Amino acid sequence: MSALLHHPGYEEERLRRLSEQLPCRELQAGMLLSLMGQPHQYSYPSVFIYGHRSSGKSHVMQVLLKELELPHATVSCVECVSVALLFEQVLLSFFGGDAASLLPRSPSLSDFVRVYRQQCSQSPAKQTRYIVMEKAELLRDADANLLPALLRLQELVEDNVTVILLTEIVWDRFRPNTGCFEPLLLHFPDYSKGELQQILSRDKHPSYSAEFYSSYINILLGVFYSVCRDLRELRHLAALNFSKFCEPLAEGKVKETDTHKLWRNMEPHLKKAMQTVYLREVSSLQWEQMQQMEEKENGAMRGLSAHTHVELPYYSKFLLIAAYLASYNPARTDKRFFLKHHGKIKKTNFLKKNEKTSNHLLGPKPFPLDRLLAIFYSVVDSRVAPTASIFSQISSLVTLQLLTKVSHDDQLDSPKYKCAVSMDFIRAISRTVNFEIVNYLYDFL
Amino acid sequence: MSKRKITKTNVPVGECISQVQEMLRERLCHQRLPDRPEGVEAQHKHLLELLKRTAVHGESNSVLIVGPRGAGKTMLLRCVLRDLLEEKEAQKSLLQVHLNGLLQTDDRIALKEITRQLHLENVVEDKVFGSFAENLCFLLEALKKGDRSSSRPVLFVLDEFDLFAHHKNQTLLYNLLDISQSAQAPIAVVGITCRLDVLELLEKRVKSRFSHRQIHLLSNPTFTEYLDRVRTQLSLPDDFPDDKFALDWNASIETLCEDKSVEDVLQRHFNSSKDFRSMHMLLMLCLSRVSVAKPAIKPADLLEASRLCLADANANMLHGLSILELCLIIAMKHLNDVYEGDPFNLQMVHNEFKKFLQRKSNSMYNFEQPVILKAFEHLQQLELIRPVDSSSAKTQREYQLMRLMLDHSQIMEALQKYPQCPTDVKQWAMSAFG
Amino acid sequence: MSTSSVSKGCFVFKPSAKKKKKTTLTLEDHFMRGCEDAENSEIRFRLCHDLWDKIKTDTEALQDELNRNILDSLLDFTRKCSSTRRHSDWASQMRASEIPTAALVLGVNVPDHDMTFQSLSDLLQQSVTPHVASVQAKECGALKHLMKRVLERLMDTVVDDEEEEEAEQTRAQLNTSVHCSLSTLCAWYNTNTKKSDTGTPGKKRSSAVRDDPLQPPVVIIFKDLEAFNPKVLQDFILICSRYIERLPLMFIFGIATSPSTIQHMLPHSVTSLLCIELFQSLSCTQHLATVIDKLILAPQFPFKLNGKVLQVLISIFLYHDFSVRNFIKGIQLALLEHFHSQPLSVLCCKKKAALLNVMQLGHQDLERVRQLQSFKRYAEKQEAQEQVHLLTDDPHLKEVCQKLIKDLRKYHKNYYPTLRCLHTLTSSLPRYPLGKQIRELHLICLEKNIWENEDYQSAMKLLKMLAKDQLIALLQRCEETLQSVKSKKMKSARVQLGDTLARFKQLDTGAAESPPSVEDSITSPVKNLQKKTDLFQLQKTLLEMNESRRSKKLSPFEVLRNEALQFIDGLVKSHLSPPESQTLNEVCYYTSSATVRRHLNATPRTSIQAALNSPIYYLQNERLKTEDGVISNAAPDICIVYKLHLECGRLINLYDWLEAYATVVSAAEGNEPDSDDFGKVDDVKHARFIRAVSELEFLGFIKSTKQKTDHVARLSWGGC
Repeated sequence: MSALLHHPGYEEERLRRLSEQLPCRELQAGMLLSLMGQPHQYSYPSVFIYGHRSSGKSHVMQVLLKELELPHATVSCVECVSVALLFEQVLLSFFGGDAASLLPRSPSLSDFVRVYRQQCSQSPAKQTRYIVMEKAELLRDADANLLPALLRLQELVEDNVTVILLTEIVWDRFRPNTGCFEPLLLHFPDYSKGELQQILSRDKHPSYSAEFYSSYINILLGVFYSVCRDLRELRHLAALNFSKFCEPLAEGKVKETDTHKLWRNMEPHLKKAMQTVYLREVSSLQWEQMQQMEEKENGAMRGLSAHTHVELPYYSKFLLIAAYLASYNPARTDKRFFLKHHGKIKKTNFLKKNEKTSNHLLGPKPFPLDRLLAIFYSVVDSRVAPTASIFSQISSLVTLQLLTKVSHDDQLDSPKYKCAVSMDFIRAISRTVNFEIVNYLYDFL
Repeated sequence: MSKRKITKTNVPVGECISQVQEMLRERLCHQRLPDRPEGVEAQHKHLLELLKRTAVHGESNSVLIVGPRGAGKTMLLRCVLRDLLEEKEAQKSLLQVHLNGLLQTDDRIALKEITRQLHLENVVEDKVFGSFAENLCFLLEALKKGDRSSSRPVLFVLDEFDLFAHHKNQTLLYNLLDISQSAQAPIAVVGITCRLDVLELLEKRVKSRFSHRQIHLLSNPTFTEYLDRVRTQLSLPDDFPDDKFALDWNASIETLCEDKSVEDVLQRHFNSSKDFRSMHMLLMLCLSRVSVAKPAIKPADLLEASRLCLADANANMLHGLSILELCLIIAMKHLNDVYEGDPFNLQMVHNEFKKFLQRKSNSMYNFEQPVILKAFEHLQQLELIRPVDSSSAKTQREYQLMRLMLDHSQIMEALQKYPQCPTDVKQWAMSAFG
Repeated sequence: MSTSSVSKGCFVFKPSAKKKKKTTLTLEDHFMRGCEDAENSEIRFRLCHDLWDKIKTDTEALQDELNRNILDSLLDFTRKCSSTRRHSDWASQMRASEIPTAALVLGVNVPDHDMTFQSLSDLLQQSVTPHVASVQAKECGALKHLMKRVLERLMDTVVDDEEEEEAEQTRAQLNTSVHCSLSTLCAWYNTNTKKSDTGTPGKKRSSAVRDDPLQPPVVIIFKDLEAFNPKVLQDFILICSRYIERLPLMFIFGIATSPSTIQHMLPHSVTSLLCIELFQSLSCTQHLATVIDKLILAPQFPFKLNGKVLQVLISIFLYHDFSVRNFIKGIQLALLEHFHSQPLSVLCCKKKAALLNVMQLGHQDLERVRQLQSFKRYAEKQEAQEQVHLLTDDPHLKEVCQKLIKDLRKYHKNYYPTLRCLHTLTSSLPRYPLGKQIRELHLICLEKNIWENEDYQSAMKLLKMLAKDQLIALLQRCEETLQSVKSKKMKSARVQLGDTLARFKQLDTGAAESPPSVEDSITSPVKNLQKKTDLFQLQKTLLEMNESRRSKKLSPFEVLRNEALQFIDGLVKSHLSPPESQTLNEVCYYTSSATVRRHLNATPRTSIQAALNSPIYYLQNERLKTEDGVISNAAPDICIVYKLHLECGRLINLYDWLEAYATVVSAAEGNEPDSDDFGKVDDVKHARFIRAVSELEFLGFIKSTKQKTDHVARLSWGGC
């Protein structure tokens, strides 16, 4: 397969090493190589590489540039809280520290280009220089003309430099509205099932045979491939469940070759893991503990997502309930719900025709403070003095993210809030104070 | 193995190949100037005249070069400059200042840049100037007391001219154009822009000082011209070291351009865009496939290259999604159909999805809300869906209103290509209204 | 102190140090000022002080004890992470790219967290790593700031960023200012670890080096995860994950609500970079239970709270904040108030000291003793002769007092063990007639004679139906609780209990001759009670069974059971009488719940109204004394205006209001009513009026209205 990575510019030996380090990415690597051409030749000013997470974009770039010892600067745009950092890193890795120190405080693009030019006039490029930008989508948040400038950097600095952008987002979402220099688009496709199998099988357990591990991976993919193709996640799952997989071996019940038995032993656990794919519940260790627990207490799934119950002070609970009611009931229905003897107001009396979808689909509406308190006083059974601590509880519910403050902070009079908890959560809460919340919700009338 | 043997045996081929690569790459990637501008002779002549007048007879001037991106504006200017500098005294006297709207983002920076490019830092040192105009005048004065009594002509090139129009009350433009009007120092202001409406951006006072000279580069060649351009771009010059190879190469290019399929491909590209850049990209992709193994561009290469160029990125991304995420997208599509493209939120989508699960799903697995939420987040991260209002902090994620950034056909296409997509999901997607 | 919690109210921000220096008053002076009966106030102050110190130290010890195991597990976690980093076993290799993260769930009582985090970081620094940085949400609004804080705390240098130029410049000269990025941190870390390898005495302790000479992990503690801006957190984690190979980072998330917030805040792309383990701290209610157990239900503290006060404190805890710390603060307040206001609190101390202090008592104090309710009751019980003695003869009274003090101590000695016994018996009964928690039982006992409480009766009835094994188990536990107690009565009680148990034992050895039918007819249903869903109903039916069987002769077991319960009942009757019944209880018991409530659970609205209604309440000024309803014309303008507006309807005509105000004020200026300029509105009065009105508007009593231009609307109802 090293035929794919065949290029006059470099000796075979290196290329072979490359292709070893880049499983299932020879095609892309070859493509890139041929685009880059021989070191001294010009390459396309800017290349835009897009593809899903963990499809080997930055890995391929790193390996290529490192192995072939090409002059390059790799910058992660997350890290560049200010453009200054970006410029510095580039200059640093091309021309060394003293160049970076030439930049003024909070430099502008033109400063950067100036410094770059004078530097590369001193040390002109014998080889193409590469600037690799990871998470390039963040460049759009930087000031408007950074991205266009980078795209045509080769022209601006008159140097043999190529800017490579790596991102998960398609180019159409990048293009500024006045247009700009169009980069060369390259797509890194996601791994096929076979490729995943091949890659995952690579990190085999030392104390087991490779075939055994790859058979394990085979089973794993059989279950998860349909719902999850993220290499990273799959690797996590593999690490998570492997010990379970080889349990019967340890007990000496089964031989390595007897895949079917192993599979039958394995399946229920994988099914369980299926429920929580993507939510990194716990580390492998705690996962195993949980598995043991479940043997005892009839299988209640207890990951991070399972502990949704929150202990709250008595009045906080009622405040939360009141908030929920306030944000999911239309204000005009309060009379119906909370007036002691509202006579006979049927739903039809205040049912608006245009309301086709229920509020639980549309989400909570903001409500003013006094409405919250009014409802609170009517739902809480005992009569409560409006003490300072009641009010402080409201604001602390906000800091706990159970309420969200909609109005701006500096607006003191009549602040507006929203309730930020789910139906199940509020159900659980109201059960603890045996308050039947469903009877008070307009949607469930 | 066999290939390697070849490379060992006839080295000169390798030599030539790398020569070709180098030469053509310089054309395609580095915009190496052609010997004579194709298709824009008139503009070339006109501009050359103008600049000559400034450079030689010291007349002030201002001109705009307007044309779509990749139409060859910069190339034109550079050609003109090259030709201009062949003249003796022009070369002797003319000073050049190149500014770019992308770099000089405000007038302070621009002024610094000008000073630098005129090599006047030491003259200015730390003088304080009342106004921008004062400063600029001083600079030009400083030039005056250069070697000759009469001041030297200065050529100001403003790339991305429209961006300069956004600077604070357009001071730079105002002053430059003002000077170009009044006969203080002989300067020529050349603006390069891709905006046809650029004059609307200028303030009245600035506009009035601009000599309304515009050079339009609206490149709409006929297809044959386009084809010629391709040919010339690819073919080797006569001074190529190895004549034989050059001949073969050019011949192969000829045959390539005759080829029917190639013509179709080029036709398609021609219809989509006629400019240099996109063509260069295409040819670059072809060129990159040339190696010692196959020392010529075959039609297949061109087809492949055009496939790469015209690939639909969104479809590519959809291909990589998990089945769950795909289902969510289908649900969104249905919602769009039902509510005439009103924005939707996660709850609605989940509802739709649940309906599907209840009705007819043997293959799909019923996931918890958190998992769905994660999938939804991922879609948002990929910007396949966009929040309607940017104020995302206030509202919960489940209820944030979204829009789908894909259209019907893209989704369907993706579904067709999707590896081992369950049939019931397919049917669900096909079915009208959820 | 964190100002974000379920228990925040109003906060005291201490004045800066130098300002404090100006005031020369010590705590003691503050204490003495305005506390009645100055002569023994020093003693009281000292007593109070010592007692508080004791309580404080005890509670802190308790806190640590409670946090012990979770902290330990955290430490283990960090150690494990730092070690696996070096070992290359398969599992850890698979996780090499992930940042180990501890999700520490602490519950919503945020104020208690600070202590926990403090001890945590201390422990970490002692035993695992010198590099610990803890950050709070409110100090990192943006990624840059977060980065800055972390770097500063780890490297203790000034970190330079683009903002606040000149400040940075000035500081830059002073010490090394570094650029704000993780790469700098990396460099620093490498050099630092190198140093430690070569063994130069750095700031790190030897233990740290011993634990992991090569790579002590870098721990970053996020104190309040919920409050962080998710975007900032995500970016930070993303950045960190790029350095994980070079820098052994690990995080600790402090979570107040529930672990699922992590998933709400972070998208999968970020969480997949973390390797999260969950740590749950014990709930604050358990925490409170232990505190009460060690603090309130302990005879060694002479200071006690009466039922009402305790009720107030507990309800504040349960209803408003789950904060144990505030609970203890409440106790402190009560303590202070008690010693401050009650002169006889000199006697509220250890036995010997108390007896001594009795001897020190002056005549005035003894008079106070005579005034005490409990003492009067006591005196009335004595015969006339003795009464005279008590009321006249000081030395005699002193002796009596000593005796009474001793009695009080005895009472306490016996009270708590008995309470515990009763609790052990009743706490497992269905529907908890006497409460699940011991504190509820305690409250009942404090209120009135518990045996007159019908819940107690029903509890006893239920006990009468307990199966043998259950009963025996409970009794044994009671006996164990009594083991440790010193006092005579309890000892004897234990002995008695012991032999009843013995008799139970031998009963079932000789169970043969007793007719089994009866017994299992009773016990067997009771045995399988536990499985039944509605216990209570079953108990009821059994009750009727009993009634019906009354006529029949009781089986020996039943006889014995009744005896045992009789005995318990006796214990209760003799020892669990409420403290009010005890003589001299006022010395030890703090009673004014109103004060505590007023201080701890403030009601701003009412206090504002109080201030406006009777300003004298706050500014003790004699001139403001009025008989109710009448406006003192010397009162501040706003009070006058307020009083006047109370007399108006929903809409207030501003001009009439002004007129009325003017009359009142000019009366205050003392110009006689018949003079012509009486009640005339001059500019000054006008201005004052306007000011007062706008103040009222600000306080939200009135607001301007559209309906009539020259009117304002009243926002409060009622009036005088």
